[in-house]
Amino acid sequence: MTTIPLGRGRRIAPYAHGIWPLVVPALVVTAALIVIPIAYSIALSFSGLGGIGSGFTMANYERMFADPVFWQSVQITFFLFAVCMIIQMILGVGLGYLLSVDVPGRRILQGAILIPAITASVAVGLLWLLFYDPTLGTANQLLRAVGLENIVWLGDPAIAPWALIIVDTWQWTPFVALIVSAGIRSLPADVFEAAGIDGAGGWKMAWHIGLPLLAPVLTVAMLLRTVDLVRFFDLAYIMTQGGPVNATNTLNLYGYRAAFINQDSGYAATLQITLFVFVIIAAAVFTFIRKRFTIEY
Amino acid sequence: MNTGKRIVGGIAAAGIVISLAACSSDSGGDSSGDGGPVTLNVLLNGNAIGTNIEAMTDAFEDSHPDITVNVQVLAEQQMRDKEQLNLQSRSNAMDVYMTLPSREGPLFQASGYYEPLDDYAAGAEDGFLDGFSTIAIDGMKVDGATVAMPMNVEGPIMYYRTDLFEEAGIEVPESIDDLLSAAEALESSSDGSYVPITLRGQADALAYDFGAFFHAEGLDWVTDGEPNFTDPKAIEAIDQYATLASEYGPEGVINYSFNESTNLFASGGAAIELESSNLLPTIIAPETSSVIDTTGIATMPGGAPSILSWGLAMSPFSENKDASWEYIEWATNYDTQLETALLGIAPPRDALYEDETYTASLDTPLKQQWSEALQYLLTDGETEIGPVSQQAPEIRKIIGDGVGTVILGTATAEEAAQSIQDQISPLITE
Repeated sequence: MTTIPLGRGRRIAPYAHGIWPLVVPALVVTAALIVIPIAYSIALSFSGLGGIGSGFTMANYERMFADPVFWQSVQITFFLFAVCMIIQMILGVGLGYLLSVDVPGRRILQGAILIPAITASVAVGLLWLLFYDPTLGTANQLLRAVGLENIVWLGDPAIAPWALIIVDTWQWTPFVALIVSAGIRSLPADVFEAAGIDGAGGWKMAWHIGLPLLAPVLTVAMLLRTVDLVRFFDLAYIMTQGGPVNATNTLNLYGYRAAFINQDSGYAATLQITLFVFVIIAAAVFTFIRKRFTIEY
Repeated sequence: MNTGKRIVGGIAAAGIVISLAACSSDSGGDSSGDGGPVTLNVLLNGNAIGTNIEAMTDAFEDSHPDITVNVQVLAEQQMRDKEQLNLQSRSNAMDVYMTLPSREGPLFQASGYYEPLDDYAAGAEDGFLDGFSTIAIDGMKVDGATVAMPMNVEGPIMYYRTDLFEEAGIEVPESIDDLLSAAEALESSSDGSYVPITLRGQADALAYDFGAFFHAEGLDWVTDGEPNFTDPKAIEAIDQYATLASEYGPEGVINYSFNESTNLFASGGAAIELESSNLLPTIIAPETSSVIDTTGIATMPGGAPSILSWGLAMSPFSENKDASWEYIEWATNYDTQLETALLGIAPPRDALYEDETYTASLDTPLKQQWSEALQYLLTDGETEIGPVSQQAPEIRKIIGDGVGTVILGTATAEEAAQSIQDQISPLITE
């Protein structure tokens, strides 16, 4: 087959060079919807009070690094990210294993447990807001029924982040479990049979064979949850508005507040670009891990 | 066809697609420049004012057959988000919108988001401007320009349970000290089924109630460009507010805004509620309230509550400005405001408080008390909900967070006052 040289050893098949006109609309749409807004936000973050065109300045970034609320929001974001990730992966793997076992009604159960993940976060937030109500909510009624004291779930800065973690875990653990379950069911049976013949027990097989083989699946689940968790917004927005006293003010929520409540677009762009960098770094780390620990079989 | 021609062809095709898309994105409706049919896009808040105006808009269309009105009603923050998206992008897709000049007025005006209405109002029908309360009209002015027309008046008032006051043997409190004593007495006489008081604890919303405590100490928010939070009287106001909330308020009061407080009071869970005059219809809603016959209304203790008005503004990017004004004029004229007043919206026109139809509708002692409290607001209310600044929302949150730390017990009133002072000083002087 003849090829057209593209420089530095890259080649393209002859039928392919005619596709460029067809690719142009996709490129234009991609640029309009992704590249231009990001470029605009970057430009805005380096602009003064007069907006884009008012000159280059680092003032927004200097302000951000000196802003205690920013650092607090970063801390809260990574706290929620780390705790949710650990809990959801542990529970997700356990639940995923149970879902992978063939029992009557497994498919119905698989569908049912996915309901929280496909429910709109606004509805989930409002539902849990009622559940957590200090006076009338079911959560405290349950506590009182077993003789425990009321908890002010969303009104105590030390408890409110944990209250959000419970909701996020309730909503997204089944999603992780479903991915894990599909991964377990696709594992090669012969490897486990061989290990069984060699005398390996259930735990050894799970730890030394199952988990390493599942690593690519787990990292995909972690990658998907990472992108969501670093951008933690909807539940905090609905349930606490970042309070009490900024205790659940995630970076994404702080950026939203800067843009739409404080109407400070330059600072909001700076916060959101910083969040964007965090998401890119987190995604890159998990992509690297996935490639590094993938075992071909 | 060679590659070059294909590329040119592709770019041309893409250009046509983009051009068509650009044409279709111009959603400003029909042009009014030729005097033909006009479509107005109106964005309203989902509170009682906005929903009532939406319901009455058919009457406007009937009397203006050349104008079609598309009304969109959204919850307050979502409405504000959409307004800003339209205004920041200089879109003609929104002609008329609801605004709170006491909150976003200075920033919107500085950003050029208001069409000045003085000339339109001067050219309105005879008598249109007559009878508006001075305080309501002044509240619609920013830097001397009228930026909106008032749709209502509202402010914090005190709802209280007459039966529980009687049980506790207390009178209606007139000062903040009286209020603290009343809360203490109610706490003593409570069987645990209610809390003495509910009020706002949510950071963004707290200044609305807290202002009355601050002004009751004889303080203005700012003097000569400097906030007054380190004044001993301000510290006293913070301490009083936080004491009421933390010692006599409901659990989780730090997250309370008007919805939470009003639901609690209407269900019989609080003896006193400090909340907006707008909430009366919810408090006495037959389907949800258990306190219809045992509620009384009085002015806020301390004598200096805040007052504000929602306004109807015109986008400067509207291409239908004359039609937009016709809608604003209709929505805020005497007859429309009489109709909304009969539905429970406190009118911004002094004249309406003497209108026989309106006064006849105040057919219970509770409604009469409510009307008296509103008239007090119109004469003695403070129009500054927080320090006036382009950063007003941020400043109010700082005040709310500061008082919130005292409610939670993580700071003293002195520490909170100093923190508020330090944070808002640069924002006020900007």
